Amino acid sequence: MADAIYRAEPPEALVRMGLGAIDALYHRRSGATHLVAAPVPQILEALAEGPADAAGLRQRLSARFELADDEAEALAALRDRLTELEALGLVRREPGAAR
Amino acid sequence: MSEGGPERQSPDGIGTARAPSRRALLRLGAVAGTVVLTVRPGIAQAATSVLSCQIPVPDPARAGMAVAPDGSTVPAGTEGAFAGGRVFSGEQVREGLRGGNLPGTGYEESQAYLNYVRRLNYGRSGFTCYASLMVPR
Repeated sequence: MADAIYRAEPPEALVRMGLGAIDALYHRRSGATHLVAAPVPQILEALAEGPADAAGLRQRLSARFELADDEAEALAALRDRLTELEALGLVRREPGAAR
Repeated sequence: MSEGGPERQSPDGIGTARAPSRRALLRLGAVAGTVVLTVRPGIAQAATSVLSCQIPVPDPARAGMAVAPDGSTVPAGTEGAFAGGRVFSGEQVREGLRGGNLPGTGYEESQAYLNYVRRLNYGRSGFTCYASLMVPR
């Protein structure tokens, strides 16, 4: 099964304020403020480079970070995180991509 | 972050080999939720309509009841109680809470209605309006 491809919200859609270990993300469209911890800011940054599926995103992240999880765990975790972020409206699924 | 190039070599020439291990460790499968908290705008948005939102006294579920001086609802005709069936705007109630009288009421009647409003709780008509008055700005 092919993975869904996700796109980050455009940079102007979010106001980001670093608060040490936590980031505050104000999402203009929903009016909600999310306090997020790692790995959420890192995932959003990596996805901001362009739409990607979980595997593509893992590659981008592994180029920058030492990933604590092995590949299968990382992919499963990324899919979970992307689903959570989609529910918050912080990422969108590309239309026409696999479910 | 601002380090421009790839692995910079330290002056003694041993930096390059050790560079990868200096990368930050990132755990993707966090055990706990990664979103610590989401603050939704619900009541803050309600505050923007504070001038126009309405508080029925008493609320429709208690239509026909009267309002006692302490703000409780009592059967119509109870001695010392004030007839209900009034609707006040958020702005009027705010003025009342600041010490003014509600429009068309005397002091005691006004205080009875304001006591009713103070006793509103979640789920009663007018509560959201009252709560939005309480949001500091």
